Amino acid sequence: MEIKSNNIINTKGVNISTVFISLVIVVPLVALLFSVLRVDFDNFYYLWNNLLVDYSLNTIYLVLLTSFFSLIFGIFPAWFISTSKFKGKNLYDIILYLPLAIPTYIMAFTYSDILSYTGPIQSFTRKYMPEISNILNQDYLQIEILAIIMGLALYPYIYTACRISFSLVGSNYVDLCRNLGMSQMKTFFRIILPISRVAIFSGLFLVIMEVLNEYGAVKYFGVNTFTSGIFRSWYSMQDVDTASLLAVSLFIIVLIFFFLERFTSSKYKFNYLVNTNQKSEFSLTNSRRLIIHLICLIPIVFGFLIPVLFIINNVISEFSGINFSKLIDLIFNTLLVSIVSALIIVMIAVLFQFFRKISKSRIVIVFSDIISLTYALPGAVIGLSLILLVTSFPQLINSNIFIGSFFLLIYAYSIRHMAVGISPLKTSFEKHPSSYDDTGTNLGLTPFKLFKKIHLPINKSAIIIAFLLCFIDIMKELPITLILRPFNFDTLAVQTYQYAIEEMIPKSAVYSLSIVMIGSILLIFLKNIVNKYIDVSKG
Amino acid sequence: MKKYLLLLTVLILSGCSQNENSKEINIYSQRHYDVDEIQYQNFEEKTGIKVNVIKANADELIQRMKNEGEDSPADLFITVDVGKLWQASDMGLLQKFEDESITKNISPELLDKKGYWIPVTYRSRVVVYSKDRVKKEELSTYEDLANKKWRGRLLVRSSSNSYNQALMSSIVANLGAEDTAEWSKGVVSNFARDPKGSDRDQVKAIAAGQGDIAIVNSYYIGLLLSSEKEEELNAGNAVSVFFPNQGENERGAHVNVSGIAIAKNSPNKENAIELIRYLTSDEAQKTYVGNTFEFSVNPNIEPDDIVKAWGEFKKDPLDLNMLGEKRAEAILIFDKTGWK
Repeated sequence: MEIKSNNIINTKGVNISTVFISLVIVVPLVALLFSVLRVDFDNFYYLWNNLLVDYSLNTIYLVLLTSFFSLIFGIFPAWFISTSKFKGKNLYDIILYLPLAIPTYIMAFTYSDILSYTGPIQSFTRKYMPEISNILNQDYLQIEILAIIMGLALYPYIYTACRISFSLVGSNYVDLCRNLGMSQMKTFFRIILPISRVAIFSGLFLVIMEVLNEYGAVKYFGVNTFTSGIFRSWYSMQDVDTASLLAVSLFIIVLIFFFLERFTSSKYKFNYLVNTNQKSEFSLTNSRRLIIHLICLIPIVFGFLIPVLFIINNVISEFSGINFSKLIDLIFNTLLVSIVSALIIVMIAVLFQFFRKISKSRIVIVFSDIISLTYALPGAVIGLSLILLVTSFPQLINSNIFIGSFFLLIYAYSIRHMAVGISPLKTSFEKHPSSYDDTGTNLGLTPFKLFKKIHLPINKSAIIIAFLLCFIDIMKELPITLILRPFNFDTLAVQTYQYAIEEMIPKSAVYSLSIVMIGSILLIFLKNIVNKYIDVSKG
Repeated sequence: MKKYLLLLTVLILSGCSQNENSKEINIYSQRHYDVDEIQYQNFEEKTGIKVNVIKANADELIQRMKNEGEDSPADLFITVDVGKLWQASDMGLLQKFEDESITKNISPELLDKKGYWIPVTYRSRVVVYSKDRVKKEELSTYEDLANKKWRGRLLVRSSSNSYNQALMSSIVANLGAEDTAEWSKGVVSNFARDPKGSDRDQVKAIAAGQGDIAIVNSYYIGLLLSSEKEEELNAGNAVSVFFPNQGENERGAHVNVSGIAIAKNSPNKENAIELIRYLTSDEAQKTYVGNTFEFSVNPNIEPDDIVKAWGEFKKDPLDLNMLGEKRAEAILIFDKTGWK
């Protein structure tokens, strides 16, 4: 039962600081708005009449398909691993997180290379199985294939959310269902899925925004999305203002959907029950065990093993040409910006979730949500908006100090990746009943002490998860780095991409492998935290 | 926490500090080939001038330069598409530069008539055709690619690619917007599939039998033919290179340059000129042709052997600035005629 919080804490200061920090984060959007004010609507109408309808339909189709595949790849393995006992379960649990370490565009380039006419599969069949080589000789650069590839790259967001949610839903529920004679599947569809809705959506939300901001892979596959429209007006029509208008529109569309979803899901508010220690695992028949292995192995094999083996093979073939001192430089640069930015993001995100707890004000809730929506914008647009911002007031700011500085680069990363940090923290903070705060306040704890003594420790796992996810996401970041970086500053992602777009995939392999390896190490660490988190909550 | 804050402060300060060393140049470059790093290293060793580079998309670099205004640290702007050089000069981001000792080594038709930029290499956008399914005699001009006989056989990448935009601009400049739109309509109806992939993918698609002819940049064929992978080599060998519009009264094949220009507010102009001098020197030109299969702007430097085997060809003498000036019209035509 929820006790109404007695607001002893002065929330005015909290509200003001929330609004202030949020504005610092969304201020680049304001810079875009200045640009929008100058828009020449002729170009907009032109794009609208000729391209945008088509681009929008493509976007919707790609979002739906990618969501479908990432849900399939994410939800089912998470369900079986959370509730069944079978051999290899722990290993599966680790590897299922790992595709997150592979940047989407690398996944796309890698698969198009594997599937291509000169790739290993078709070369092999032409040599040894000519009768089926004709069937395999197809044009694989299709929107549906792209959706599967993006689903493979992005499903871990859903897997992570589901693993936590399914395990926290409580063995109570599962036991109850079992006692009522419900099968594992029935329990899943009738009970678990509906009450995990919020968690699944938080993962899906990240997937959808990744699809919206993707440019490299969609361009390569010849799929024009709304983001292609933004770059059509910027790169091809030299019209930055219309590009800004489209970017702002994209932001508003995402905003509307976000609040619509929140509006509908608030009706289904659900608090996780305290779990029993009982293991809620279903017993399995052999045929069912086989199906489970299959369901887990598909995302593992296609999302991680195949692309990584392909990359490793390329590294070996190009081994003599590797410039190790450059590689070490790039690793250092990548780690540096990723660590600093991820720390900043997590600090802000934690602060905001805490503010949400102690201030029940709508302003705080709305603003702390809005700052995560910038994730839908393509990185290059955020880069552009920051350049516009720091150069808009030449009398006040010497832009020379900012452009090409680490400060601006890290600022941009923080704006863009805020959502990735907020998502796990929000789920964790919301899970704890507000009676904790009330008790704490009644015991005379100051807000700072409340934060330090209660919220920090009980959300520790989520904080580490948020940090790791941000770190990995920033490590893969590309467009912001390209547009805002200082002189002579390269990261692993940038170097990978520059070889890849010049159609030198093998040369890019050592850099992409470094990304995948660093990411994998962090993800294995993350998996352990998640598991501990699940266990602690069960205690 | 304090440690992190300290680290952060150090980072911010390190980003802000301006390098006092005046023996340097700052380049905003769209080129990102390995050969460029070799060139800069050689230049540094020769002159002791440190080369600082930011590599990104040309339009992003243009925006960055434009907004930085007078404070811009950029000395040089390098692109792989002359259209973007024209764009930058049109926006007032470049300064004129003339030096007889540099330009005398360069083919005059490749030079900027307005004097803003200097070409460093050039490439041609050619037609490649399946050795099995197409006879060389069937090919003639770019105009002929709209001919019905190519229905369902033509491969090309997306219209968002700047090499395609440059080609379309050259056709607008030569034929006028109306005829070009007609041409583009014919070309689109000849597509074997929706535009997608890279130039190399078009060649692979010919090898795979998904189409018979493709429009690609010349050096990609060189890259395929020098590949260590047997299958890529086979794909490269499945096609031949054809330079269009070589007939007696025809204008010649479309060419585009990768060029360099001095930024309007260049703080190290003298050093910048030194780099231009170096990149157009015989030594650097030989390094380019040996590594990227591009053509040298110096008529006395021979191309790589692979490229030489395609034979000599007549270049379209069009003022290259047209590839930028006609760009807007070209984009309209792409969109109007459904070239995705």
